[in-house]
Amino acid sequence: MIIIPVNRHNQPGQSYRRSSMFLIRRLPLSPAQLLILLAAVVAVLAGCTPDNPQSTFDARGPVAQQQLDLFLIVFWIAVGIFIVVEGAIIFMALRFRQRGQGLMPKQIHGHTKLEVTWTIIPALILVGVAVPTVQGIYDTYAPSSEMGTPIEIESVGHQWWFEFRYPDEEIVTANEVHIPTGVPVMVKLYSQDVIHSFWVPKLAGKVDMVPANDNQVWFQADEAGVYYGQCAEFCGLQHALMRFRVIAHEPEEYDAWVQGMRTPPDPPEPGSGAARGQGLFAGNCSMCHTTDSFRQGGYAAELEVQEARWEAWWEAPEESRVVSAPNLTHFGERTTIGAGVADLTRESLIGWITSPDSLKSGTRMATHALVYDTPNHHADLAPQDIQDIADYLLSLTPGSGAVTPPPGGGDPVEQGEALFAQRCSTCHSTGPDDMTGPGLQGVVQRADTRKPDLSAEQYIEESLRQPGEYVVDGFLNVMPSFAGLSDEEVSNLIAYLNTLE
Amino acid sequence: MTTASINFPRVIPRPKSHSGIWSWIGTVDHKRIGTMYGITAFFWFIVGGLEALLIRTQLSRAESDLVSPELFNQLFTMHGTTMIFLVVMPMASAFFNWLVPLQIGARDVAFPRLNAFSYWVFLFGGILINTSWLFGLAPDGGWFGYAPLSQAEFSAGMTFWSVGLNVLGIASIAAALNFVVTILNMRAPGLTMFKLPVFTWNTLITSVLILVAMPVIAVALTQVMFDRLFGTNFYVPAAGGDPVLWQHMFWLFGHPEVYILIVPAFGIVSEVLPTFSRKPLFGYPFVIFATIAIAFQGWFVWSHHMFTVGLGPVVNSFFGISTMAIAVPTGVKIFNWLGTMWGGSLRLNTAMLFSIGFIAMFTIGGFSGVMHAVVPHNAQQQDTYFVVAHFHYVLFGGAVMAIFSGIYYWWPKMTGWLLNEKLGITNFILMMIGFNLTFFPMHWVGLDGMPRRIYTFAAEMGWETSNMAITIGSFILALGVLVFMINVVVSRRNKAVAGNDPWDARTIEWTIPSPPPPYNFAEIPVVEHRDDFWYKKYPHLHEEHLEALDHESNITEGREYDPERHEATVSKEDAPLHGGGSHGIHLPDMSYYPIILAAGIAIAMGGLMFSYIVSVLGAVLIVWGLLGWSLEPASEPDH
Repeated sequence: MIIIPVNRHNQPGQSYRRSSMFLIRRLPLSPAQLLILLAAVVAVLAGCTPDNPQSTFDARGPVAQQQLDLFLIVFWIAVGIFIVVEGAIIFMALRFRQRGQGLMPKQIHGHTKLEVTWTIIPALILVGVAVPTVQGIYDTYAPSSEMGTPIEIESVGHQWWFEFRYPDEEIVTANEVHIPTGVPVMVKLYSQDVIHSFWVPKLAGKVDMVPANDNQVWFQADEAGVYYGQCAEFCGLQHALMRFRVIAHEPEEYDAWVQGMRTPPDPPEPGSGAARGQGLFAGNCSMCHTTDSFRQGGYAAELEVQEARWEAWWEAPEESRVVSAPNLTHFGERTTIGAGVADLTRESLIGWITSPDSLKSGTRMATHALVYDTPNHHADLAPQDIQDIADYLLSLTPGSGAVTPPPGGGDPVEQGEALFAQRCSTCHSTGPDDMTGPGLQGVVQRADTRKPDLSAEQYIEESLRQPGEYVVDGFLNVMPSFAGLSDEEVSNLIAYLNTLE
Repeated sequence: MTTASINFPRVIPRPKSHSGIWSWIGTVDHKRIGTMYGITAFFWFIVGGLEALLIRTQLSRAESDLVSPELFNQLFTMHGTTMIFLVVMPMASAFFNWLVPLQIGARDVAFPRLNAFSYWVFLFGGILINTSWLFGLAPDGGWFGYAPLSQAEFSAGMTFWSVGLNVLGIASIAAALNFVVTILNMRAPGLTMFKLPVFTWNTLITSVLILVAMPVIAVALTQVMFDRLFGTNFYVPAAGGDPVLWQHMFWLFGHPEVYILIVPAFGIVSEVLPTFSRKPLFGYPFVIFATIAIAFQGWFVWSHHMFTVGLGPVVNSFFGISTMAIAVPTGVKIFNWLGTMWGGSLRLNTAMLFSIGFIAMFTIGGFSGVMHAVVPHNAQQQDTYFVVAHFHYVLFGGAVMAIFSGIYYWWPKMTGWLLNEKLGITNFILMMIGFNLTFFPMHWVGLDGMPRRIYTFAAEMGWETSNMAITIGSFILALGVLVFMINVVVSRRNKAVAGNDPWDARTIEWTIPSPPPPYNFAEIPVVEHRDDFWYKKYPHLHEEHLEALDHESNITEGREYDPERHEATVSKEDAPLHGGGSHGIHLPDMSYYPIILAAGIAIAMGGLMFSYIVSVLGAVLIVWGLLGWSLEPASEPDH
């Protein structure tokens, strides 16, 4: 026996019929009108401004253009199918709406031919899309050989800034990458901490920077200009403020920029604020920020020291006083600070040094550097000190002096003296007088006797690399590690120290 | 001698009362469990929605500092985690629980206590993951928890995330197992697989997907948990761990998960459209096979979440093509739904409007999905608001619209009273306008270069107008949800009696009283046809009958449903109190052990984060729950 219990008090269909009539009578707009209204609202909202700084509709190079062209193919196909499907929905809602008591419609269970047709047609359309897609995958992976040899740049994503290296030109910089126009640029992508993503919408789609996985992206800027980029893979606290700029120059201007990056800045006027700032910078900032990668061997040294900074942080993520940090060589030429967060002005720079959190909270600089070890992460420096550091940094532009000679050659003692002036002279005198650190007259002779199992050279090298282990009685343990110095730099430094009899 | 005769010392008596709080805590009734799933999921829907509103308020203008970056990162991580694992999945479970036994003519699921256990694990898992807010340790690494950002050095809250999701996975696996067994084994006589209602078919397909996909994420989450709690190095690049492995593990789960979220929605729509078109589903076998094809192909597209990871052109080409291929069966379904409506007699009430809205919105989400598969341009879309627009069109415009359709459709069956149609249509209109105003501009702003998951943006980027519109839209959407809640309150006061079959529906759940008695069917029905109830009501409409009529007429005469003619053979009063009468209905007895075991698991897992003493306490509960469960008979013999 089959049981079909039915509530006998209910007249099926009444409640809904009343309500559907309500829809038809009371709705101020038909569904079609609603859709048109919606489309109009959307169009107004869109504002149609493809020249926004990161618009993908404003392709300025072949890679972004090919990506956009492919998108537009699919977009217009989608618009066509959209009109068919949504049109059919609206048509049916109007045409087949139940009227009056409602006739029982024909009970159609399906139509195999029709169903096979609407399986095959979309499949064919998709094959048509798949062919140019696969072609595009290969084209956008690497430039064709006809385009010439690409310029190679390396970019490392850090929480939350971009490091840029030019292995052929031996240049290191950060957050602003300079390229020539009309030439393909191949950027090798790396990361040590977390996954980031390198994206300059007007030049090329993004490619991720994945630890332990080396990637690449290529693009070409057809015209000179500044192109905005931004990290596109969520990478932690300040993902939103991890931005960068691509600055494309005409080829001659680009060559000039390369020359400039090899030219040391003019030294600050003795006695000026910038000169004082140089000393303060050496004492407070130089353990993480390099400013002299123009020097001979500076490129290799920066790579080494950056690696050492990363390892120091990774060993002790909470306590480390040293962290990976942007290279500040020729910082005065930059246009932004804080990884594209604000325009670089003297005022914004002073604000940034005073309190990094005011512009970008939670940076490694504010949470780890000794000078920011204060309750609110404000710099433990007087306002005048901060202004002097800012003036020093702004003075870092290519000077009138000679371009650094190509790698190799030069007198070790002279090189060691230059290095000493850069890195050590803030705290150490070359005479008998003690400053923050001991006076270094006769240091080699003293070093020889300090530890029985270490030669003078070994002792000096070790105390450069691990200063905490070799603190001289009566002095504070404040010397930063110079673990990143190359062996050649250390031997040059010792050669120079040997002259301080 | 049966297990029932083992004299296990009972610490607590078996629950007996059929009313009051303890009757809910001890229940094994699939309908009550379904109700609890629904209410809990709706609660999290409100929580996740409020998180979304905070996100939108922060982003309504450039350089806003309403929400700190820490909180913002927690909000979007928890919004995604909540909406997927605590809202859409359990909301589908609410429908599975309520409807599968009713649609297959069964009195309960195959394993009623396991069913209760699934719910309690889900409840405690959801609570566990959300207690992170109290400790200031809410997950903050994104809902897909990319390594190595999920490592302890980089994020504070991902311990709660890995532990909490692992607990929730247990609930899903147990429930899925239950429904596979139920659907395969407990169908009423005559109900062969190809007479099965589409919703039940889709439940089966979803459950199989869960069974295969969930273990993958369970392994991966356990690895992360071990990395964070016990210092292993599964995802530490410096120690040889590979962050890309995590992405493969996550998306190998994550893409089938997308279908786990949307296939139940397909099922709901495939029930609502035929009922309110008064026509059978167009191409039933095509729809079923298309869904199976989607579920199968869903295993070969995971790397389309990873086109920018640098897997190389060969891999990207493969996954680009496989992703385009999955659009084919999806398109088939859309055309079949349109075919169902074509020539029908459409009743545009709230349930139907939500289903039609589903087709319209899901189609748009499908377009952006195909656009993602255009791999070179995917590099411009990936991790931007274009992607956010896409997955909200399929998950909100798709899954949530369908869930609302299902709520309006089955509400009278579940409660015995109808929801108010005026408020329902207001609810629908507000949600449609709010939804499109929220998510449509996201397509634009994404291609205008706005990455997702940024808590702030500069005014010079030109995204301000769009974002303000999006925020306004999100509040209109929230207003729509508020109208739904008002509707429930108002309708509950008015209690418009629904009767067994308020919609002139097609499947056998509409043959029984609303709300159904605990035993569902006084007698197990014998099923003869697909849409069995429909042809019992209108036997002259059946193909066999029509064939007999020869080609007399192509159009069947309109005929209103006549309840007198299809008089019930058994009325409510005739049914014996405990059902079945002389047939002797045996329903499983209530039990406290599912909740004890579930609490034990949540406490043991949660304890790993704080104190092993707590874990030991949890372990004691687990042992107690398992022992009690094993030694307790499903039904008391003397009952």
